[in-house]
Amino acid sequence: MTEALLRIENVSVRFGGLVALDSVTLEVAPGSIQAVIGPNGAGKSTLLNVITGLYTASGGSILFRGERIDGRTPHAITRRGIARTFQNTELFGEMTALENVMISLDRFYAYGGVTAAWQGRHYRQIETSARDEARELLALVGLAGDENEAAATLPFGKQRRLEIARALATRPGLLLLDEPAAGLRAAEIDALNRILLDLRAQRQISILVIDHVMPLVMAISDRIAVLNFGRKIAEGTPDAVRRSPDVIAAYLGEKAAHAVGS
Amino acid sequence: MPLRPLLFAAAILAFFAAPQLLPEFYLFQICLIAGTALAVLGLVVVTGLAGQISLAQSAFVALGGYGASILAASWGVPLWAGIPVVAVVVAGLGFLLGQMTLRVAGHYLALATLAVTAIVQLALIHWEALTGGAAGMAVPPFEIMGRALTSGRELYYVIVPVTALFILTAQNLIASRFGRALTAIRQSETAAEAMGLDVLRYKAAAFAASAFLGAVAGGLLAPLSTYLDPAQYGITYAIYFLAIAVVGGMTSPTGAVIGSAVFVLLPNYLQAFQSYLGLVFALLLLGFIVLRPNGLSSLPWLRQAGALLHRTTGPKP
Repeated sequence: MTEALLRIENVSVRFGGLVALDSVTLEVAPGSIQAVIGPNGAGKSTLLNVITGLYTASGGSILFRGERIDGRTPHAITRRGIARTFQNTELFGEMTALENVMISLDRFYAYGGVTAAWQGRHYRQIETSARDEARELLALVGLAGDENEAAATLPFGKQRRLEIARALATRPGLLLLDEPAAGLRAAEIDALNRILLDLRAQRQISILVIDHVMPLVMAISDRIAVLNFGRKIAEGTPDAVRRSPDVIAAYLGEKAAHAVGS
Repeated sequence: MPLRPLLFAAAILAFFAAPQLLPEFYLFQICLIAGTALAVLGLVVVTGLAGQISLAQSAFVALGGYGASILAASWGVPLWAGIPVVAVVVAGLGFLLGQMTLRVAGHYLALATLAVTAIVQLALIHWEALTGGAAGMAVPPFEIMGRALTSGRELYYVIVPVTALFILTAQNLIASRFGRALTAIRQSETAAEAMGLDVLRYKAAAFAASAFLGAVAGGLLAPLSTYLDPAQYGITYAIYFLAIAVVGGMTSPTGAVIGSAVFVLLPNYLQAFQSYLGLVFALLLLGFIVLRPNGLSSLPWLRQAGALLHRTTGPKP
């Protein structure tokens, strides 16, 4: 077996007395699409936030490409090759779609303060290259015509895709998606599926997606892990997970019970 | 675009014509506007762009003025050399202050920076041996090439070009990746950090820039006023700068000049209201926050004029 791209080992996160993640172990294989599902409050978002350095693990270790990344700052983790999107979109609302993507790209098209102050030909060349790559990324997620729109004015589905373009602009090896399908219509979910599968095929990007919208997760994931109350209760191929009695009881069962109750 | 060189030529012409045509009073006022605009430019960077509210600008201006004057009075360092040296040191202080934003944000940051202003003012009053205490200190004249520049007419040739240089530089930096990064941080620190930006370093750099500009402004305004009074560098002065930034346009370098012009010139036309001046400024500030939060520089005709001056993309309102 090849070495995992991301390896989460016995990671726990506690907030005071609350155990949000309880000794979770999870791997993302290179080139794979790994899903994590679970009911609300299962610890899915906590998992994402501890990988990206927003939360500190109270135990365990996280390795990316064989290196410890737990305890590092979020921007340092991003620079190592892990990009993310946000559940409730965290775009730079007043900036244009193009500028949103350029924020992530600027690191690769760096120039000094003097160059920026003078704005000579060298400056314009670098800015133009950055702009071109940003346009390519926008086209990749189907936002070619929206580059000069302020991010906040885009419809929700487009904001989601802009988040993906912006994350890709950090040139990641691993893309973390926080409920990318929430609030999207069926047709939009299909379009998103195609984008994600293309990304893996063409850019060799591995993806860790957390969601509770089943169509997305079932259609594209190689493996699915199931969280419940901060613990991993099952993991396997989509078919195996679908049939697991534990999962039906904890996840689908609870949902069904909820539907009857309301 | 043939308009740009034309405008540039007109500006140069106006710059050299003004001292020939205007009386000392107006030249003094122009110097005051330029110096104030430089201090406000610091706020445009740290508060307008980076979104870090700062009431420490008064302290930076005080440190620049006192620092350069003390260097000149006690060690004979001429102001033209002392001002940049002091400004760099004050910028270092600003950078350290910026580290505080790791833990403090919003209203608490406003209070913490206000405390800096209060502390600096207290130090100026109590460190009598150096600052002359509550009585204040006289500013040595600005000497350059054996000539002492004492009037507004003479200092004009120093203050106006320096301010113009910094305004233009700021405008270009804002249009670059540096301005983009600060704007992104203002809108979402979480997202900026997640996109690989070292948010703390950018915020600290923004504070350093605001401190540097404040200190240069203080250093240039000192010989203009010829006397430093610690009572001036208090909380009111800090709010004065913030009010100018709001009226001019928080994110606009040219707005800093427009706002400063309003606040420096308005009292001349309100002689009858002299004792209510504070009230007039307070109403102005409140009116702008409610009715035109992007300030005077967001007026359509002013924005078009601003766009003419800009090669690539202008700063977003």
